[in-house]
Parts: sequence; C-alpha cells; structure tokens
Amino acid sequence: MTANVGRSLWADAWLRLWRDRLAMASLCVIVLYSVVALLALAGWIAPWKEVVGGSYQPPSGDSLATFFGTDLFGRSVFYKTIHGTRIAMSVGLVSSLISVPIGVVLGAVAGYFGKWVDDVVVWLYTTLSSIPNIMLLIAIAFVLGKGIFSIYIALGVTAWVSLARVIRGEFIKHKEREYVVAAEGLGAGHFSRIVKHILPNVFHFVIIHLSIQFMAAIKAEVILSFLGLGVQGQPSWGVMIDDAKLELARGVWWQLAGATFGMFFVVLAFNVLGDALRDALDPKVK
Amino acid sequence: MKHARLWVGFISLSLLFSAACTSKPKEELPNTLRLAQRGKVKGLDPIYADDTYAGEEVSRAYEGLLQFHYLKRPYVLIPALAEAMPEVSKDRLTFTFKIKKGVLFHDDASFKDTGGKGRELTAEDFVYSFKRLADPKLISTGWWLLDGKIAGLNEWRQDAQKKGVADYAAPVSGLKASDRYTLEIKLLSRAPSFLYSLAMPFTSVVAREAVESYGKDFLNHAVGTGPFRLMEFSSNSRLIWAKNPTYRQETYPSEGEQGDKEAGLLADAGQPLPRADRIEVQVYVEDQPMWLTFLSGKLDLSAIPKDNFQQAITPGKELSRDLSEQGVRLVKSPMLDVTHYTFNMSDPVVGKNKYLRQAMSLVYDSGPLIELFYNGRALAAQGPIPPGLSGHDPKFRNPYRQFNIGKAKELMVKAGYPGGQGLPPLTYITTAGSTERQMTEYAVRVFDTIGVKLQIEAFSWPEFQQAVRNRKGQIWSFAWNADYPDAENFLQLFYSKNASPGPNDSNYSNPEYDRLYEKSLGLPDGAERTAVYRQMVNLLVEDCPWIFGVHRIAFGLVQPWVKNYKRSDFHGASKYYRVEREK
Repeated sequence: MTANVGRSLWADAWLRLWRDRLAMASLCVIVLYSVVALLALAGWIAPWKEVVGGSYQPPSGDSLATFFGTDLFGRSVFYKTIHGTRIAMSVGLVSSLISVPIGVVLGAVAGYFGKWVDDVVVWLYTTLSSIPNIMLLIAIAFVLGKGIFSIYIALGVTAWVSLARVIRGEFIKHKEREYVVAAEGLGAGHFSRIVKHILPNVFHFVIIHLSIQFMAAIKAEVILSFLGLGVQGQPSWGVMIDDAKLELARGVWWQLAGATFGMFFVVLAFNVLGDALRDALDPKVK
Repeated sequence: MKHARLWVGFISLSLLFSAACTSKPKEELPNTLRLAQRGKVKGLDPIYADDTYAGEEVSRAYEGLLQFHYLKRPYVLIPALAEAMPEVSKDRLTFTFKIKKGVLFHDDASFKDTGGKGRELTAEDFVYSFKRLADPKLISTGWWLLDGKIAGLNEWRQDAQKKGVADYAAPVSGLKASDRYTLEIKLLSRAPSFLYSLAMPFTSVVAREAVESYGKDFLNHAVGTGPFRLMEFSSNSRLIWAKNPTYRQETYPSEGEQGDKEAGLLADAGQPLPRADRIEVQVYVEDQPMWLTFLSGKLDLSAIPKDNFQQAITPGKELSRDLSEQGVRLVKSPMLDVTHYTFNMSDPVVGKNKYLRQAMSLVYDSGPLIELFYNGRALAAQGPIPPGLSGHDPKFRNPYRQFNIGKAKELMVKAGYPGGQGLPPLTYITTAGSTERQMTEYAVRVFDTIGVKLQIEAFSWPEFQQAVRNRKGQIWSFAWNADYPDAENFLQLFYSKNASPGPNDSNYSNPEYDRLYEKSLGLPDGAERTAVYRQMVNLLVEDCPWIFGVHRIAFGLVQPWVKNYKRSDFHGASKYYRVEREK
C-alpha cells in the first residue's frame, strides 16, 4: 500500500531535490561560497590589501596567500579571488532582492487586474526588454556613476522582466480557478486574493527565477567590471580579468586563472541547481 | 597641454585594417602614415585644442604665424604663415608680422564666393581668429593664453559679455590688419614668451566663412591652411587626412643639430612638404590592441606599454633582438612634462586643508610608481618644472615628496583627521581604462595607509575633462606637456586668473603667487627670473595644490619604413614624416 498521505508541493520538491545528488552537490557549493562571502564580508578571511610578496610572483605552494601567485602590487591573488566571491555573491543577492519584488508585484497586478493595468505593465517590460541588455546596463551605470552600488541598481531594475512575464501568466491562469472564485465568494478582497491565495501557488517560480537571476547577475558584474564600468577600487573577478588583459602580455596568467576558478564553480552550481529546482518544483514535469 | 597621465610615449600610431573581412583588400597608398592617438579626439576647432590629442590633430590642418624648427635643439621659433620673424618695436610691445602671400585655405563648400575653392589668407583672418579665442560665448579653453596680454582684447571681451553677443567688426586696438598682408599686435606689457603662444594650435588661423557656415558642427570640420585636409572624422576616434594639394610652398629644413645628417634626417632637405600623402589615425584607449597592431606592422609609431616593456626592451634598456632584427628603431628622449595629482582647491574639504594635502603628498611614494607603471622610465618630480627648462633645479628636494609615513600621520592629526577619522571619502575622478584603473588602485592603496579613503568615478577622456572644468571631484590625476619650451608654461598652471575652465585645474589662488607670476612675465630669461621662479615653486611646494608625480622619458618605437622621424615635444611634426616601403 502506498502512503497516501498528502505531501505539500514544497516537501515533495525537497524530497526530489534531496534525491538528486548533483543538485545537492551544487547546493553545497553555493552554501560554501555564501559562507566564504560572509566571512570575507566580516573581514575574518582574505586580507587582500596586504602585500604578501613581490610584484607578479608566480603561484607557489609556500603559503595559502601565494597559492595563486601575486598581482602587480604584490597582493595575494588567492585573497583577491575570495574577495571577488564576496562581491559576486553580494551582487547576486542584492540585485535579486531588488528585481524579485518588482517582478512579482508588477507581474501579479498585471495578471490579476488585466485591462489597462496589464497594458501599462506589458508596455513597460516590452520596452525595457527591447533594449539590448548589456547596453541598458552600461547606460544605467553611466547615469548612476560607476561603482558597486550602481551595479546593484542596474541589475536589479533590468532583471525583473522574465519573472514578471511568468508571474503575470500564472496569475491570469489562476485568477479564474475555483479556489480563487470561492475565496471571492467568501468575501476576500483583491489584496487577500493576490497575496494569500494566488501567490503561494506560484511562488516556486520565484525560487527558480532566483537561482537563474543570481547566476546572471554574477556574470553581468564580471562583464561590467571588465568593461571598467563596475566595481571601483577593490578587486572583483571582472577587474581581475581586466588586469589579465594587460598582464597576459608579460606571461602572467594567474589572475585570469584565479578569477576563472572562482567563477566557474559558482556559475555551474547555480545552473545545475536552477535546472534541478525547475524539475523539482514544477508539478507539470512530474 | 593636458593629457591622460599614462600616455607614455609618442602621440602617434596607426590604423586598424577593416578590410580583413571584405572580399577585396583595399589598395594601400604607399606613402601612408598610420598613427595612433591615446585618447579620443574631442574636436578639431583650434580654440578648444587644449589637450595633446586634439592639439596634434588640429595641427595637421591648421597653422599659426610661427612654428618650432623641426630639427634644431634647443627649440627655435621660425615663421610659419608669417613671411619672417616679426619686426619688434623699440619698447618691445608692438610686433609687426608680414603674412605670406598666396597662401590658400583648403577647398571647402563654405567658400561660396569662390565656388568652393579655398580663398587666399589675409591678415584680417588672424584678427578674426584671435577674437574667437576671446569670444566669451564660445568658452574657448585657450583664452588664458591671450588674457591680459593684447591691448584692447580684454575690453572687447567684456563688451561682448555685456551685450551678450560678440561684435567681430568692433576694432581691438592691439590687433590690427594694417593692410592685406600686415598684422600688428600690440601688447600691454613686455612678455618675452608671447611669441611662443603664436606657435600653439590655439592661435591657428581659421576661415570665417567655414566657422559661420558650419556653426556648432565646425568642431567636426577642418578648414585651415595646413599641410593635410580632413577626409574622414568618425566617432572621435578615427581620422583620415590627405595631402593638401594647394599647400603653400614650404620645404623640408636643410639644417639641423649635430648628428641629424648622420641619422639621415637631412636626406629630404629642400623637398616640398608634406612628405606623406596620407595619414590614417586611430584612437587606441587600451594598450594591447595598439601594441599588437604595431607588432603586426600596421602601425608606424608606438609607445611601449608597461606590460610589454620586458618583451621590447632588454635589461640594458636597449631594443630587444626580435624588434631590432625587424629594423624597428628605439627613440629615447626625456619629455618636457610633469604628471601630477591635482587637488581641487575650490573644494571646501581638500582646498581648505593644507595639512591634509601635505600628508597625502608625503605618502604618495614615487619609487614603486616609477617601477610598476613606467618601468623605470621616469624621474620623480620635485616641482612643476621639468628638467631641460631654465628654472628646474636638479638639486632641489621637495620636503613633502620624500616618502615619510610617520610625518604624514602627524600631519593628519594637525589636519583634524587623526588616522583619517572624520574625513569623508574623497571623490577621485579618473579616465576609464585598464592601466588607469591599476593606477587608481595604487592611489587607493597609498592613501589608505593614512586613513584617506577614495570614492572613485571613472569617465571617458572628454567627459573627464568636462568634469574637471566644472570643478567636480576633489582629486584627480593629470599630466602637463609643455606647449612651448619655457617654464612659464608650467607656472601659469597656478595663476589664479587661469582657473577652470582655464588650465589652472586645481583652481589654486594665492595673491603672492599671482604677484610673482605677473612680475616674472616681464623678465627675460636669466638669473633674476630664475630666482622669481624659485620663489614661486617654494610657494607651491608649501601649499601643495598638486602632488608632483614624475617627469617621463619617452621610449618610442619607429617602424623601419618611416623616414625623417625625430621626436618633438610640440605639435605639427607629421608633415615631415615620410613612408618608404621596400617593394
């Protein structure tokens, strides 16, 4: 006899995720990066400002600091890579914290209310998405001035479009379902129907979006910093790759390697996890 | 002349071939120079040519009354559009120039009376061009050059300011075209260096027809009397020039300094200028594309980027075997320049706190700077005047430029910010680019040692200049290249009347300094003037409106097919270069 006890969508999803070894490994990688980022934020690890050796010392196993060699000023590339983790994770997190609420709110009201509200929101995001993304990011970075703060904002205000689209579609579908009609019959107002009834049923899309958005933001930060529009005055993976552009000419490859190493695992992990989350959370693919 | 700080060598380089993907490769003219610029060219109107990139391009199309002899050193002024050096009155206030006859402007559609053919240059054109420099509405970046020098010109400017529009027909007593080919300039007071200003791009002659017919777009056109005509100017980063077929009869010089003959620099003596048929200019903001283009032979002159120095130069500071086997020549020469950090003296925080500036100057260590960014190709600057100009004192040591972190920390306490406490981050503006960013990181590091934090804002070159002119930012890095071989050109950078938008970008203002500067203007080169210069430098050292950086040594590379190349500190040398490819 099969257990017929109802499992919630979330418990079900978690169970499926738990069984997916690759996804769990990815999750561990992400947790590890997050811990490293937090420790770096607290200033407990990776004192990247310190000079640990001569200019452009190649990698050596003597100490952790010189493990990835040193940069132009004799600073540890390993510590810079770790500091880059902090920047990358914070960009991912903050830009998601900005874009997710925008996407959810706009998608929800557009889908729920329809009519002119829908028209306005759809117009807004089609206009926004018709501008090539990187151009838009560059334009915003120019307006706000360069620096990590404007990267947060630039990514935050451009990345909500795909989420809003999905949420809008789901709301259009859900608002006519029986349970919503029933809630209306019981006297639930618009706000209550949107937040208490429909939103919990579409929230898994937000989770999926979050994992993809996080990774996209990390990549965007690297690109912007490489173009000189990003982080100023502190290391990030993009800045390290920008350095490498000059240094490779003198045979210094370790900054490129460090940044690539740092970026590779976290981007891969988010990709794998995003896929696994979609599989786990979307009932249709059961 | 201002330029981005990291520009380490020659002004020039070449052009990228865009033909690689097209079906038919373009036929290349054999006598084409391919040069590079290290910053965007903001425009070609001479009255805005205040940076080295615009200045060099302007000098291809425009000319002034005088120019520097191409080969002779020390630099000698010779006539350009003037028939001869001016006649000087007994009181040394009035200069009478005879203008060359038969000089034609470039053919251009704006010459409606002659059906597009360039008309003849007259003395009146100079009067017009000088007035443009003074026109308050145009906000020329070169007004400082003539400010307070020519009789009646300041009054003309004030009058225009009052009326809101400049009256070009109104006479200026010190600026007269007494006949078609005679120009009289009357100065208010003796100024031995005045003639130098007539060799600068700012005072080049423009045609009124072109200015009026192009209006605001005049910036993108070049209608002068110069050796090259503008064929293409796109996105501020690519220019194509062709030999001006109606260029006046000017010939390659037949004498130079010792050694020029042996170096083959006199082979073209007496030949008509320009020597090249065409110049293709490409802007390279980043080092590596420029360097790779040079190595592939598609660029005729190049500086050596810091990251390629080991590849190009042996530890004995000679050219590497690879390059010398290809016939590439290395030209080393000290530059008449100074790099510096500028403090914005009109800013309430840094401008009012001498101790803060002195402390920052003390920790800005030039030793590692010269090694990391200039590969040892620079001298630590102790003051504004570079070696090679009278007024430079090789024995002088600036007390605030000897690295001393302990003393700096004491000064921070005196400044009211012990350990940097209570000091908000300083807005540091810079140009965008990878090497510039690394340099900024260096600044962040050294100032951090005394608790001074920087808030960084990066701009493109024209935007950066705009920000400086509008007095945004509290500190920035710059470099000044001599406009003429006289220390006055460096000392005017601190004269309060030259404040932004003039060349005094620190907006330094010290009545005592101004008094000494005005005094020095009337003095001929000699011990008395040098003594005044020394007093002025001492004031600057104590007040610290700048952190003096380095005087650079240019290491330029020249492709074997470029003939007649000699490094010049001033603009307009490209008309002498020639390209000779072996078939």
